[in-house]
Amino acid sequence: MITVGIDIGSTTTKAVVLDENGRYSWSVQPSGIDIPAIGKQVIKNALDKLGLSLQEVSSIVATGYGRISLPFATKTVTEITCNAAGVHHVFPEATLIVDIGGQDSKAIKINSQGRVVQFAMNDKCAAGTGKFLEVAAQTLEVNVDELGAISQESQNRIVISNTCTVFAQSEIVSLIARKTAKEDIAAALHESIVSRVLGLIESIDPELEKHIVLTGGVAKNIAIAKLLERMMGRTVLVPDNPQITTALGAAILARD
Amino acid sequence: MEKVLARFRAISEQPYQSAAEWKKLNKGKIIGTLPMYFPDEIIHAAGALPVTLFGNDDEPITLGDKHMMTNACHQVRSSFDLLLKGHYDFLDGIAALHVCDQVRFFLEVWQLDHPLPFFHEMWRPYKLHDTSRPLLAQELKRLLNALEEFTGNKITPDQLLNSIAIYNQSRAMMRQLNQLRSDYPGIISAADMVHVVTSSMLIPREEHNQLLAELLSAIDTTQLPVVNRIRVVAAGHPCDPPEDELLNLIEEQGLVIIDDDFFTGGRYFAEDIKADGDPIDALVDYYMNSTPCSTYHYADDWRREITQTSPYAEYIIDKVKKGQAAGVVILRLMYCDPLDLEFVLLKNRLNQENIPYVSIFTESGPGAFEATRTRIQAFMESL
Repeated sequence: MITVGIDIGSTTTKAVVLDENGRYSWSVQPSGIDIPAIGKQVIKNALDKLGLSLQEVSSIVATGYGRISLPFATKTVTEITCNAAGVHHVFPEATLIVDIGGQDSKAIKINSQGRVVQFAMNDKCAAGTGKFLEVAAQTLEVNVDELGAISQESQNRIVISNTCTVFAQSEIVSLIARKTAKEDIAAALHESIVSRVLGLIESIDPELEKHIVLTGGVAKNIAIAKLLERMMGRTVLVPDNPQITTALGAAILARD
Repeated sequence: MEKVLARFRAISEQPYQSAAEWKKLNKGKIIGTLPMYFPDEIIHAAGALPVTLFGNDDEPITLGDKHMMTNACHQVRSSFDLLLKGHYDFLDGIAALHVCDQVRFFLEVWQLDHPLPFFHEMWRPYKLHDTSRPLLAQELKRLLNALEEFTGNKITPDQLLNSIAIYNQSRAMMRQLNQLRSDYPGIISAADMVHVVTSSMLIPREEHNQLLAELLSAIDTTQLPVVNRIRVVAAGHPCDPPEDELLNLIEEQGLVIIDDDFFTGGRYFAEDIKADGDPIDALVDYYMNSTPCSTYHYADDWRREITQTSPYAEYIIDKVKKGQAAGVVILRLMYCDPLDLEFVLLKNRLNQENIPYVSIFTESGPGAFEATRTRIQAFMESL
């Protein structure tokens, strides 16, 4: 049985194709206004990687913010449930997930069967999300993928006091004007994100969880994972392809 | 049934139209009261019409904010804005009790900035304890005297008992409807249930009782649709009515609300006031034995309990168990301090009892609907 999971996020659209042997392929594209067209394209790209066609697909689960806009989806499931399914597949012993996406972040507690027990979301504010890093990278005139490495070079700890992404941008500009090192600013940005996310995690009472699984596009930034580990005092595990964990979960749920 | 429901909706959607019409016909006085728990029965006994002032979710606040801070609940900010804009010009007076700090302090600002011929602040003790009884009795008598003076009508104990009886009838019928909602989920939507209660606070109670009796007799329990949704209790969102769009959204995702504790809902009709003996004593008893609320303080020894509970949390758990609900949808009204502080106690107890819950922040106006849909759907998927 070949299934597809498609995660239509506010920033990127991800598709995973899962075959009967548990092999999977994936594709990522920036999201846009024409959700069905982008959806078709991203699914086709993922199918091509396994040499499969759409006719061979038995079921498509759409998730993410744009899930209701995909007319050819078999079923829609929230990204919270899909993320849990995806993480459970990759780390069967996981019980606490932190997902940091382009414009939202979530903390999810799951049970030993991969079912959601509790969750908290931040989607009212871009602080603590990928958007924060994107805006900051632009202001610092570096590639957002380089921010993690740059932050590791920091020698002096400074604090970005503004939690608002927009106001933090002004703060960064004034720090640059005062000749503050890029590395120190980058490190402060990482601390800012992780602090915001910590609050979210605490709200679901994670006393007993031994480790945290970090997913979402921002999880590709190894500096975030390391900082989260340090600040929470717990091991942080990151799947090989953290950005597509939710889409993978959707493909798994499409088998039901 | 649909015709009567439409009538309730119409009254709730145009709240003060009915009051303005009543004034033209009856030449009586209209007293606006603020949520929650104002003893409307006393206003009724004085021959005046009590009308609850809820604010308006669709009207942007433009004048109200220049007189007070914005980190207050929408209900208080909006109703003040409407007052300043003249939407409440049909009122002869305003009365409210100290249900929370926002209401308490804003009432003083209102009195200064927009005085009315009658403006009555009633001190309600926050602590439910025997030592608070004399204060409450005194305040109820003071209100009674003030209304007598303002309306020129004497309020005899019999008149007050009569008013209490009429309101008790109303509450009894609401309880009946609520029980039907639990026994036959889907018989009335959560939004319509809120309209039924809200509209009772906007028109003369006798008129509402007639309409409600009509609704109850129109319900045919042999012709009900089979509903296959998950039973939940809705908790929180005190004071003003939760928005239709939100309640409909919850019920469209595969859940059905079989009970709630809104002011424009469950907590309004839970208890009756004793309709014999001394009516002031009866009112004092009623308040002292109120449905648990986040705005009350309880006797000091509750903290010594091992479970560190709150009566409010127990009340919600009781509703879940009685209603055989799968979980709780907690509507956290933004900037409602009492509810916010109670939330942690509530969620700790729900966790202890393994009762699933989802917490949704409610705000006025369209809000982040997709975000709410995602949370509700994710909650439903986890049940």
